[in-house]
Amino acid sequence: MEIDGNTLIFIIIILFLFFSSPGGDGVSSQYEYNQLQTLKSIYQNEFDTFKNLTSTTNFRNITGLKLSYEDVQGNPDLNATYPLKGKVYDHWFTNQTFQLLPDEVMNMINTDIWNLPYNSKNLFPPNITSTVMGSIKLHSNNKYEKINMPVPRFYEPPKDFSDNTPPWGETYVTEWPSYGELHNVTFDSGELNIQISHIDKVTRQINSNKKYKFNKEDENWKLLSLKIDFFDKAENEKHSINSLAIYDIRRGRILSMTQSAKFHSIFALPHYLNFENNDENNNDTELIFNESKQLLIDYWNASNYIDTLTMGNLEGAYDNAYFKCEFMTFLQLEPWNQYTKEQLKLVNEELNWPLGRPANLSVVPPVKITKGLLYSPDCGVLLNMENVKGPRYELKLRTIRTHLLAGVVLIATEIYLLLRQMQHTNTPSSVNKISFYCFSMMNLVDGSLATLYFIASSVIPELYLPLVISAFASFILASIFETRYLISIYASQINEQYVGVLTLLRGSTAENDEERPVVIPDEASISSSLYGRFFFMLIIFTFLILSSTSWPRQIRMIFEYSAIFILNSYWIPQIFRNAVKGIPSRRRRRRDSNTVMTRRQNKTPLLWKFIIGTTIIRALPVIYVFTYSSNVFRHHKDVRFAVLLSLWLLFQITMLYTQDILGSRWFLPRHAIPEGYSYFKAISSQHLMEHGQTSEVNTVDCSICMSEIPVYVEELPETHKVDQHSYMVTPCNHIFHTSCLENWMSYKLQCPVCRAPLPPL
Amino acid sequence: MSMETPFGLRQYPVTKFCMVTTAAIPIVASIANCKYIFLTRYEPFISEYQQYYRLALFELGATNESDVLLLMLIWYQFRHLERIMGSYKYISVISLIYLYTSVILTTLYIGLNVLLSQTIWNSLPQGSLPVVMAMLHFYKEFTPKIYDFKIVVKNPLSSSKDKRANFECHLDDQFFVLSLIFALLLNQGYVGISCGFLCWLIGVFIDKGIFVGFHNWRLPFIKHWLSDENNLTRETGIASSSGPNINTYINNVREGSNNLQEMEGHDYDEENQDDEPARPLGVQFLDAFRR
Repeated sequence: MEIDGNTLIFIIIILFLFFSSPGGDGVSSQYEYNQLQTLKSIYQNEFDTFKNLTSTTNFRNITGLKLSYEDVQGNPDLNATYPLKGKVYDHWFTNQTFQLLPDEVMNMINTDIWNLPYNSKNLFPPNITSTVMGSIKLHSNNKYEKINMPVPRFYEPPKDFSDNTPPWGETYVTEWPSYGELHNVTFDSGELNIQISHIDKVTRQINSNKKYKFNKEDENWKLLSLKIDFFDKAENEKHSINSLAIYDIRRGRILSMTQSAKFHSIFALPHYLNFENNDENNNDTELIFNESKQLLIDYWNASNYIDTLTMGNLEGAYDNAYFKCEFMTFLQLEPWNQYTKEQLKLVNEELNWPLGRPANLSVVPPVKITKGLLYSPDCGVLLNMENVKGPRYELKLRTIRTHLLAGVVLIATEIYLLLRQMQHTNTPSSVNKISFYCFSMMNLVDGSLATLYFIASSVIPELYLPLVISAFASFILASIFETRYLISIYASQINEQYVGVLTLLRGSTAENDEERPVVIPDEASISSSLYGRFFFMLIIFTFLILSSTSWPRQIRMIFEYSAIFILNSYWIPQIFRNAVKGIPSRRRRRRDSNTVMTRRQNKTPLLWKFIIGTTIIRALPVIYVFTYSSNVFRHHKDVRFAVLLSLWLLFQITMLYTQDILGSRWFLPRHAIPEGYSYFKAISSQHLMEHGQTSEVNTVDCSICMSEIPVYVEELPETHKVDQHSYMVTPCNHIFHTSCLENWMSYKLQCPVCRAPLPPL
Repeated sequence: MSMETPFGLRQYPVTKFCMVTTAAIPIVASIANCKYIFLTRYEPFISEYQQYYRLALFELGATNESDVLLLMLIWYQFRHLERIMGSYKYISVISLIYLYTSVILTTLYIGLNVLLSQTIWNSLPQGSLPVVMAMLHFYKEFTPKIYDFKIVVKNPLSSSKDKRANFECHLDDQFFVLSLIFALLLNQGYVGISCGFLCWLIGVFIDKGIFVGFHNWRLPFIKHWLSDENNLTRETGIASSSGPNINTYINNVREGSNNLQEMEGHDYDEENQDDEPARPLGVQFLDAFRR
């Protein structure tokens, strides 16, 4: 490439765009800098207040915590200001005068949720990394007052380029935007996923990978990150929450609160970990408060909370404030009392770092949330959880790994069967009888499987090895063996490309006048076009599958069911192909099989081993997913569809079998089946003359073996002793020995003399 | 016996088996995420958890990738032993050594730790290091040196007449095997060195007849399978285990006889090789594409 001034400027601009993107905290203007500084100073002030908090003092000027439930109850339009007239800041009691929760909800938590008495008998698992699933029920969405949570105005984006200072003040939003999540929950019951992960280590700088431990009370307290999703069954209304959580290991309690521009919940966590008011437990209350506060302070200091704030955090907080309700989550874990403390430690170590310790991992119970409650102070919504549980993440990975390995075995078997099938049909004549579309459907499935495995291997690093092995196996199957087979099928059928189905049924090419290319593309060009088509289809289909996972349930189900049904109809094209090629019935094949040649020509194109094996291998995963309710893909159970699919496959196989037994055209009416082209026929003397022979000899030269062929000439009775099956007449009127031409036809379906396409035997 | 080694591994079924298992077992184990079963530590696996299956498994798989590589290379170098002994005897000797080493090592391992009532010997070596070390004795014993060479490094500072200042190093054609073994021993640390020495002694004792079985022990059931291979290998010059030449050869090597021609099998005729050699697996796969 010639580098002139323009190119240089272009390169410089590109480089400028690359390197001028804001790194670090993402600040790219004076306005944004001021925004971030404001946020940092607010956080710093609030943190200083937080440090001085005790279990008996109220929050003061902390965002989102300025009002309590009772403040709002009489006066829903009360502005959240500090200090509020008449509000008590020097005390803290667990009632609605001080809390964001109404007394009723607090009682509910005390009696129904966190009701396990604290004693050392209950043992809770220290590590609960898992994805738990269950159902969620709406308790009420209009009973409780909504607490005003104003959004500070400095979060707002600049109005114009010259704007340098963010506005002051707060916005009291009354009309929530119609996009984003609904500021309410309208369904009565739905489904719930909670992804629990531990925060054991934190980074100290923005772009660093080095992580440090911070938790001094690791035995008793854990910091968690919860990702809670809940939605109705039809997935029309989805809510998704990301939040920090505190896990009290001794009591099995998890408290999480969402954080946004209107609610700085990190400072509220210690106050909401305990709702018991009686004096005997006062000590306990103080202990819980102080220990959890220390955990948060440790986390704050270790992660350099203020210094690691970025513009991304700021914008995220602003978006969450506008588009989502704030939620407080109260969860109670089920104790694992079947273990002793030492056993629990052993199980935990074995899960973390498998060494074959005697921890029976197959009986490790699931992480189960016995009771849970979601309350939104600013939307006044109360939700209950039911039957929420899931296996430990490591155990989940183990099951997935075994499933993947089983899949690899299936793919390997399929490769073996395909190889046998390819050996069975090793001539163009036999490959010609196989349907191209039958194998392209299988190829599409295997290819997209390979791509999906490959994508998954980069998403789940823990399963990299088995996923890559699976991707490799299915890629080998799809792009090497199947595509190679497709190429030879395509090459053997290229003669028929411009021929209608009826002509094909007739099997003759003699009478039609259609223009057909004489030069047949070679395998290299076929293979390049087929590979191109294969990868194009693959990418389209994979993207379709990937994007379908985010579609609404209804559409997704329709897509899934129809795709599975269509892709499992792979024998249908073969049934049509058989009918077109007209394979005789088994009895006739037996009768005709006196010569080796005819036996080879008349064999069925597909091995029964291959048909049955492929059907089983391809149906097994689908049937597993649809009938086994606790399958690894979390797919819903639908036995009816699995049975329907199996019946459909059985029907296809039965059709193939009847074609094998009765002949491939048994279901066609007799008059619809015209005679096929016959290579064995008498020739006329005029034809003989054209071959340059005098009528005395009555022979033609075979241009393959260069020796003479005696022929049956209709007009000459003395030649009628000649067996018509000893020579073959091509549609282009060339004559060869039967054995010579059959040998040649196993290499190419072209006339050796004029290159005209030959109908396969 | 021909001086030329046959090309490839087709005629070394046992060597091929050893190399393939050396690589395949760790790969399969790591895919299935159970590599740890080859790890043997007295504390806590044996003493606390009583996982005695580890004592039967430790020689089967090496968990360290460089160990796997070294062991594969060493097995490849030991293919001359298969040529001398014949495949059937070779696999029998390997299995004998496997039995002796695993029994002796584990007995000593448990015995020492129990008797001294404290764990002084915590771990066992991984992979086929014990077998390889015992085979090393046979390799040194039966494989003739083909050539040796000297590396002379001149000291640039001294005068050329001072011969002592030059660094000389005598090496023979086996030095590559020895350096591989050396690397293997170092790679596993003290355990590798001490157990390696022990297993080399076991090899010596088996050869001297102190540990019986070298001449009589033959694996059952697999003779047929290997002698089929032998029919093929005999044509290309590998002594068959059934023939008498192994003992003659071993005796000759011991007596220092260099008369290799004497032992050249009469049934060996290079001209009469089959025109069409048996097709390897790769070719058979590719044949699926042919027509």
